[in-house]
Amino acid sequence: MMPATRATLVLLALLAGAAAQAAELKPFVAGSMQQIRAAHVGRPFVLALWSLTCSHCQEELAQLGALQRRHPQLNVVLISTDTVEDAEALTATLARHGLARAETWVYADAFAERLRFEVDPRWGGELPRTYLFDRAHAVTAHSGALAPAELERWAVMSLAPKATP
Amino acid sequence: MKRRALLLGLAVGWLAPAWAAHEHGAPGQPRDLKGVWEKSLARPALAVGVAFDARGRLWRARVENRQLWISRSDDAGKTFTSPVAVNREPERIAADGENWPKLAFGKNGELYVSWTQSLDQPFSGNVRFARSFDDGRSFGTPLTVNDNTDIISHRFDSLLVDGRGRVWLAWLDKRDASAARQRGERYTGAALYYAVSDDRGVSFAPNRKLADHSCECCRIALARDADGTPVAFWRHVFGRNTRDHALARLDNAAALQRVSHEQWAVDACPHHGPALGISAGGVLHLAWYSGAEKRRGLFYAFSRDRGQTFSAPLAFGHPDAQAGHPQVLALGVRVALAWKEFDGQQTVIRVQQSHDDGRTFTQPVTLATSTSASDHPLLVSDGTRVLLSWNSAAEGHRLVPLSGDSP
Repeated sequence: MMPATRATLVLLALLAGAAAQAAELKPFVAGSMQQIRAAHVGRPFVLALWSLTCSHCQEELAQLGALQRRHPQLNVVLISTDTVEDAEALTATLARHGLARAETWVYADAFAERLRFEVDPRWGGELPRTYLFDRAHAVTAHSGALAPAELERWAVMSLAPKATP
Repeated sequence: MKRRALLLGLAVGWLAPAWAAHEHGAPGQPRDLKGVWEKSLARPALAVGVAFDARGRLWRARVENRQLWISRSDDAGKTFTSPVAVNREPERIAADGENWPKLAFGKNGELYVSWTQSLDQPFSGNVRFARSFDDGRSFGTPLTVNDNTDIISHRFDSLLVDGRGRVWLAWLDKRDASAARQRGERYTGAALYYAVSDDRGVSFAPNRKLADHSCECCRIALARDADGTPVAFWRHVFGRNTRDHALARLDNAAALQRVSHEQWAVDACPHHGPALGISAGGVLHLAWYSGAEKRRGLFYAFSRDRGQTFSAPLAFGHPDAQAGHPQVLALGVRVALAWKEFDGQQTVIRVQQSHDDGRTFTQPVTLATSTSASDHPLLVSDGTRVLLSWNSAAEGHRLVPLSGDSP
């Protein structure tokens, strides 16, 4: 009797925890990019743009999910170029890749050119598109799924304690 | 807080196999992609097709409520006739950036239209075609031109009438990719297929393949060579994932010719197809986009030997302003380039022109602007003037004469 109840409680707690931690989708609008940079000032982070309709993005999300597991202290920021009405599919996909806790945004303005410009005026819109921000926010841009080894090398290097001159 | 994170870790680890077990469709695709696809098809279509006929009348094709609507303007776009529906049976019609409805004209007043029908499965479609023999007053029952009718991708149609009045359609086709996957083999990209009709579009000959391994989601540029033969220009996948450009004549004679060498090696879909214009003198004018890190932006080249050799690519447009989606139109020795940029506040259509067959170009000028979502630009000519055709959500469809052209 008692163990069964306890198991139920644990299960409920797990589900409640999962629900509470389901990725909160923030609307990505004009000014959001500036907000993201400001929120991560002085810290390295990975910024990845993706879409549900892009098959290579699934490889990318799998890589980022694995990276997040290896380096829980690394901030991963995801921006979906889909729409707010795809919210359910977006959160389900991120959860499947172990990215439920990542900071997640979704395009919330049909004027996508403006949003793309604020992310990077040089970006042609191809997906996936990844930006590796180091501690000083010097940025390395990459189109297409990132090689796992490259991503790992960058993570280790950028998370290493800052060398004092 | 720490405890919650731990619980979450457990929850995710525990739930993950359940998600995986319910996985359907192609590997790597989100399980709810079908809903996403359906929602995307329900959004209003911005893509508009326009073309001038031999009598200088402008025809327009646009999509509304699952129907393709054709109207005509006898005053270069100032006023239009009330639109006529092409397909009586409503169907889902793709009309976004790289897919827009096409119009072409036969030698005896025939009006031809083609479009991509979106099917139930994500990214699947059929190439559709209809004709009118009564000056656009009515259209015959639409045909599906692809003779493989699996629910896979046959999309990104391109339409052309050759020098003999034959009707050509070219498109990107995933039948070989699909067959390879069923055999457990790898197939890079899509294939470029085409079909030709020599009975005014009443029927089409069996589909033929022009090339294996095209890029999957970039429009095909088709133009008529000086001898009347159709020429295709498209983004190809060279080697494992180098997405540069190729050219081929649709006369079964010539092999694929590589045009660009930016070496854009990328596992991504650019959604960014090229443009081709051929002058009456037979000079090929080509424009394309590359995202290669060291060669990013728009490029222009010409060929004076029917695509055997090409001029050194000329970079145009502002790479720091998203320059993309180029158009090229050749009219005698005049060449017009148009493309899209974003200046930080608004989308702008920029234009450069050459009056010496592409050897030199004027400085770029801004022809139109928008502060809303917009279609790619199109250039059209009535044989004398060149006009920009551009649709945007806030401003609507516009026809703007290029500088030097009368309104």
